[in-house]
Amino acid sequence: MMHFLLLFSRQGKLRLQKWFLPLPERERKKIVKDMTTMVLARKPRTCNFLHWKDLKIVYKRYASLYFCCGLESQDNELLALEILHRYVELLDKYFGNVCELDIIFNFEKAYFILDEFLMGGEIQETSKQSIAKSVEASDMLQETMEEYMSKPAF
Amino acid sequence: MPAPIRLRELIRTIRTARTQAEEREMIQKECAAIRSSFREEDNTYRCRNVAKLLYMHMLGYPAHFGQLECLKLIASQKFTDKRIGYLGAMLLLDERQDVHLLMTNCIKNDLNHSTQYVQGLALCTLGCMGSSEMCRDLAGEVEKLLKTSNSYLRKKAALCAVHVIRKVPELMEMFLPATKNLLSEKNHGVLHTSVVLLTEMCERSPDMLSHFRKLVPQLVRILKNLIMSGYSPEHDVSGISDPFLQVRILRLLRILGKGDDDSSEAMNDILAQVATNTETSKNVGNAILYETVLTIMDIKSESGLRVLAINILGRFLLNNDKNIRYVALTSLLKTVQTDHNAVQRHRSTIVDCLKDLDVSIKRRAMELSFALVNGNNIRGMMKELLYFLDSCDPEFKADCASGIFLAAEKYAPSKRWHIDTIMRVLTTAGSYVRDDSVPNLIQLITNSVEMHAYTVQRLYKALLDDISQQPLVQVASWCIGEYGDLLVSGQCEEEEPIQVTEDEVLDVLEGLLVSNLSTPVTRGYSLTAIMKLSTRFSSVNRIKKVVSIYGSSIDVELQQRAVEYNALFKKYDHMRPALLERMPIMEKTATNGPAEIVQTNGETESTILDTKHLPSITQPASQANDLLDLLGGNDVVPVIQTTVPTKPASAGGELLDLLGDLSLTGGPTPTPAPSVPMSQPPFLLDGLTSQPLFNDIAAGIPPMTAYNKNGLKIEFTFERSNPNPNIAVITIHATNSTEVDMTEFVFQAAVPKTFQLQLLSPSSNVVPALNQGSVTQVIRVLNPQKQQLRMRIKLTYTHKGSPVQDLAEVNNFPPQSWQSLPWGCMGSSGIFLTQSRVDGMKTDDDDDDDYSDNDEEKSQISQYISLHYFARLSFSSFGLLGWVDFVSLAWIDCLLHQSPFVICKGGGGRPQ
Repeated sequence: MMHFLLLFSRQGKLRLQKWFLPLPERERKKIVKDMTTMVLARKPRTCNFLHWKDLKIVYKRYASLYFCCGLESQDNELLALEILHRYVELLDKYFGNVCELDIIFNFEKAYFILDEFLMGGEIQETSKQSIAKSVEASDMLQETMEEYMSKPAF
Repeated sequence: MPAPIRLRELIRTIRTARTQAEEREMIQKECAAIRSSFREEDNTYRCRNVAKLLYMHMLGYPAHFGQLECLKLIASQKFTDKRIGYLGAMLLLDERQDVHLLMTNCIKNDLNHSTQYVQGLALCTLGCMGSSEMCRDLAGEVEKLLKTSNSYLRKKAALCAVHVIRKVPELMEMFLPATKNLLSEKNHGVLHTSVVLLTEMCERSPDMLSHFRKLVPQLVRILKNLIMSGYSPEHDVSGISDPFLQVRILRLLRILGKGDDDSSEAMNDILAQVATNTETSKNVGNAILYETVLTIMDIKSESGLRVLAINILGRFLLNNDKNIRYVALTSLLKTVQTDHNAVQRHRSTIVDCLKDLDVSIKRRAMELSFALVNGNNIRGMMKELLYFLDSCDPEFKADCASGIFLAAEKYAPSKRWHIDTIMRVLTTAGSYVRDDSVPNLIQLITNSVEMHAYTVQRLYKALLDDISQQPLVQVASWCIGEYGDLLVSGQCEEEEPIQVTEDEVLDVLEGLLVSNLSTPVTRGYSLTAIMKLSTRFSSVNRIKKVVSIYGSSIDVELQQRAVEYNALFKKYDHMRPALLERMPIMEKTATNGPAEIVQTNGETESTILDTKHLPSITQPASQANDLLDLLGGNDVVPVIQTTVPTKPASAGGELLDLLGDLSLTGGPTPTPAPSVPMSQPPFLLDGLTSQPLFNDIAAGIPPMTAYNKNGLKIEFTFERSNPNPNIAVITIHATNSTEVDMTEFVFQAAVPKTFQLQLLSPSSNVVPALNQGSVTQVIRVLNPQKQQLRMRIKLTYTHKGSPVQDLAEVNNFPPQSWQSLPWGCMGSSGIFLTQSRVDGMKTDDDDDDDYSDNDEEKSQISQYISLHYFARLSFSSFGLLGWVDFVSLAWIDCLLHQSPFVICKGGGGRPQ
């Protein structure tokens, strides 16, 4: 089970955080800080795995963004790389050539996509198409409702 | 009120902030606006405001005041509101705040909503942050949704069920019926989440595990279909069909096959198939292979399959991808215990990984390398590991050093090699080694007699190079102190001898005393070394001077040493050579690990009992262990604790004899040895307490009063018999506080059947009046089962002409008297020791006074020695000195038996 998924920039700015275990705010901040310092300190061309407390940390850099997740000891870290990659693919498909700014300005969308992909720290859908379809359908629902209620978007 | 700015607008504005302060100011302003909007219960823009709050939250600003607004959004009818509300709830709320319970009802309604996406939001939130209360309330709804035909809801319900089970395991049963048809589902999302659910249930309950074993053929079939089916665009990842599902099935198979022959048998073929047919050019293929290997290693697989698995890992080690190498090392580390030889074949590749630039890989490689060291490859492996120690980052040094120590202790091919290796570690990574490595090395050196000259010369050279590595400096100081004569004589067969003068050696040691680099402990070692050299070198005057200088050191420890040594020069110079004599050789100890320490101690113990002073020689070893125990942090300890019999007791016993004799100035010669110490309380602790504390501390087992009635008091003191720890030796001391003697005194004792009792003859049958003496009698109790001791005693005597008879039950024996761990009591005696230490300091100061009275001097001497002994013990138990001093004091104790003091034991004479 994945414990958390963090997206942060090369400058260590947090772009997205998903916690699958209840943790106090202070501890979350501590983890974010530890992860950013540890991952950003890694030299290029090193492996994508770290050990932190009793978690396996798997991270991968895509352009200017680091995707970083914490796994339990029985989880497969090679597969976790595939999970991170799959998430990037989903974002890419949704935004079309996704970049860090897309995620900054549309962070809620990034969360919505993630919530259709992972749940409770486990994968809920292995098909890219299904995920794209349900995110799209939810967006449609949102838009039609907004039009119908003539409600200002956020 | 104007419409609040849009979310994207806010993000843009905040991003223009050039400083942290500017950003903070903007956020504060916006937060104020949001708060007032919340206060006005504005429904139109609540969603926008919460979304903005979530952005600020991500930047690290507090957003807790949005919690209730999230709940309001969830309760709204609009999908946009719900979407942001649930997102906000997942980010801002958690189960430690009671607010979250207010959501329960909304979630319940939404789980029954007519729109699947609303139901999906509710499921997702529940599955992400539902507390156990929520899970209890909503488990029924989840179970219902798990049975729907709608795969969008079914997959979410399955993961939600996983969360419910994690939170409230007893709800597991509830989901059992719904699991029946899960695996016949075609949708991969549902299939995947179902496998996750089944895994969770199997991991949590053995009953579920055996129940679901019947699913193995079905899982095998699904896996086979995945491998055999052609290209399916929907689930393809680099030519592999749904690797996520494959990995999950492999993991469930691992759990089902573990420890079960039939299930393992049923999955052997498919595992072999996956292991051989998976395309490995991409990471994803290797992810599957890796999972397969783990499954093969965990279940009861065929041996051929296991070899295949290890070879896959071997191939992984050669892979260009660092990630693959990393998992290979991790998995090999897991299997090295079970398939040692198979892993051993990849040794050179593993050792090569030590040179990898990546610290993650290095660490794994180091751990694995240590796991692979054995008697055959020790020299080669150590060469690599020492090289690694030399060049590795500081974060590795401590672990690497202790790994080398352990391996060297276990497999050292020769003593010289062992000493060289440890010395090499101390010179390269001295500041990273654990404290106990100093005593360990000293013990090792002491035992290798033929290596003394060589060792001291090597260490002396190392000191000349570098005095910053404290553990090395300590060992070197100790050795120079012990073997300084060998050093200056220049006799070394192993190596080109060096020419050093006594003054040069003393220069180096004095340099350590003044160096800023030296720790207080190092200074202590150094001063002791200088003192020892006073009998090995001719430059006694120089040494006297150094020692007296430190008599006024502000370091209390150093000062005390110096004062004691000074006293040794001034008052007991005749004893000095004997006291500072070279440490005895601890034959046969501790070259091959803790287990043997214990063994050899046991052996020596049984053979040496007849000679008088030998026991003391062997004691240092066990006392050292004892001290290691006190110092803590040593893995040697547990073994020793359980097996080494009661050494400290005997050591104390002898000291006790000695002191007891000393205190009996001019008195009649005491007859039975054991009774001596108690007949008159020793001087020192007179003022402290009336209890005979010496015996206390020395024997390690507190004495007890077994009977006290009508003026007759019977006290028990304990000692453990040396050859057999199961025998408790109890000495009874009967005293009479009345004015009339008690005559025809007979003491009888009975014990339960599990014990055996032997009563030796009493010292007398008259208990003198007014506490003017005592009757002693020794009881030996054999207690093979280490049960709590109980005893019934019968006393008969004639008092004032009339016969008296009394019975009593004795149940309050101190646990140490019957338990197998005699030095459980060491800690408690530490309290006394600190006390005696304080007094000891005082006495040392008084030492310079002239005593005309002989008796007084004698008491002084006895005090001196006892205090010295106990003060040291106390220091040692605080971990200041390490066992070396303790040992040397035990040695002093032993030497005293040969010195004039011993005479007084037999003849009641005075120390000359």
